[in-house]
Amino acid sequence: MSAATPVQDDWRARAANQTRLAFGQALLEIGARESRSVVVSVDTQDLLGIRPWIERFRDRFVELGIAEQNAIGVASGLATTGLRPYVCAYAPFITARSMEQVRNDVAYANQRVVIGAAASGISLGVAGGTHHALEDLALMRSFPNMTVIVPADVTEAYRATLATLEIDGPVYLRLGGRVEEPPVGDPGAPFRLGRAVQLRAGDDLAVIACGALVEPALRAADALKQEGIGVRVLNMHTIKPLDRDAILKAAAETRGIVTAEEHRLAGGLGGAVAELLALERPTRMRMIGMPDEFACVGPTLPLRARYGMSAEAIAAACRELLA
Amino acid sequence: MSETRDRLLARLEAEARQLRRNIWRALRAGGGGHAGGSSSAADILTVLYFHRMRIRPAEPEWPERDRFVLSKGHANAALGAVLAQAGFIDDAILDRFYGFESPFGMHPDIKVAGVEMCTGALGHGLAVAMGMALGARIQKQDFHTFVMLGDAELHEGSNWEAAMAAAHFGLANLTAIVDFNKIGQSGRLDELIGVEPLADKWRAFGWAVREIDGHDLGEVVDALATPLDPQRPTALIAHTVKGKGVSFAEDTYVWHSNSVNDEVYARALGELGEPERSKP
Repeated sequence: MSAATPVQDDWRARAANQTRLAFGQALLEIGARESRSVVVSVDTQDLLGIRPWIERFRDRFVELGIAEQNAIGVASGLATTGLRPYVCAYAPFITARSMEQVRNDVAYANQRVVIGAAASGISLGVAGGTHHALEDLALMRSFPNMTVIVPADVTEAYRATLATLEIDGPVYLRLGGRVEEPPVGDPGAPFRLGRAVQLRAGDDLAVIACGALVEPALRAADALKQEGIGVRVLNMHTIKPLDRDAILKAAAETRGIVTAEEHRLAGGLGGAVAELLALERPTRMRMIGMPDEFACVGPTLPLRARYGMSAEAIAAACRELLA
Repeated sequence: MSETRDRLLARLEAEARQLRRNIWRALRAGGGGHAGGSSSAADILTVLYFHRMRIRPAEPEWPERDRFVLSKGHANAALGAVLAQAGFIDDAILDRFYGFESPFGMHPDIKVAGVEMCTGALGHGLAVAMGMALGARIQKQDFHTFVMLGDAELHEGSNWEAAMAAAHFGLANLTAIVDFNKIGQSGRLDELIGVEPLADKWRAFGWAVREIDGHDLGEVVDALATPLDPQRPTALIAHTVKGKGVSFAEDTYVWHSNSVNDEVYARALGELGEPERSKP
């Protein structure tokens, strides 16, 4: 690794409250710090904001066109030679289209490949069900060796991306689309892999959220506080390895747990929390997420509200648990 | 002084015979397996591992080694056998084919010394090999990457994504060898989905192509000697016979994968002949 280079201080402005762009900005710091890093694009240069990388590190850039299966295989091959590939892709395609390559070439072969998966959830709302990624966490977290991270805002996305330098294995980094993700945490807080961040204290209930639903979870907690209900909010940015201690502690110290994610209810964060609690400490739960259906076409925020992924829905689930 | 061509070919022929004996030995240990595709690949593997590739069996992770990816991973009996014969892994592993917790299962496992990727789900190896070739270029290393593809494997569309990209990058440090034995798991390729004109397909994708007899050791040696073109990846279409070397297993889909008991094993070895003793 080369000597540390000055951290650019303008990344935050360039990220414009979008985690996908924070990833691209963090790559510039990675490129300067790690001479073995390589960026792989599948015609996604603007989606993840990697044109500055191409300008600065042209010899460590691989454009493969719209060929996700090939991209994952190539990334695995690159990794076997000691390089550190960062695949920049669309979440719906890189997880579903090339799932076998992710499973075999990356997870099973345990190669150090980082997948930056933008446009996750229903961030591409108007694009319709073909372009929604609502099962990617279920797929990715089911693979042994895989680390799964869902940043909630640009600070977390930037720091989580830098943290991949220290992860000796494959990583799935779930990023948003062209929808602003307002800051939720302390911009100075470090990123600690596998350690949930408590954003609100409270002992009546706990909301465990990730990604785009952390901010609505905070609004729900603030509203419930006005009603005299103390809601603990945990930002579970790492889905795998899961922060078992924080979850079990929340289960022990509160009267119930609500999970919240922009993902189908099957197999995501809620599923991971439920699996743990069912075995270790059965707890009353409610799960906020996409029901067992394909979403209709629409802008992201109205879609979230339509399918119960909102501050109001989280608050209602909390009240239900206390009733 | 370098080996004369006659001596080289005689040495390779002996290694190839021994390789086929080892393949059948593994198949017997496993109670059966992919005799057809392992045998059709045997002569090419022999030339790669005992002549062409820059390898250090005692140092399998040597960064400058040439890479070989067996994309048609169901021929792992042949890969395991050649790795044992070349000294990457203990010869006794061949008697543990399909064994419980054995490193030597039906398909290659990267954890085994000399195995470069977990393959066998088809349509993966060419992309991975291309990544290795790109990795060499990016890091200014001069190792060569070889990948062996099955002909029926070419039904998988991902191969053609990789073929298009490898030509785009002009990866002359990449050689794909198609083990063209004309037979898949269920029957002849032209009765499943035909792949002809195969050489034309690779040419159209931008590869330098040569058709060879994949059982003529001299032809294989010559074809693998250098890239066919300094600006393009090489595709060798190797015409082979499925099950080559054992008459009852030759040219039939029945022996794509089949049971091997002691009696079948004895018949196979009888046809393959005794290994040659090392000559002075």
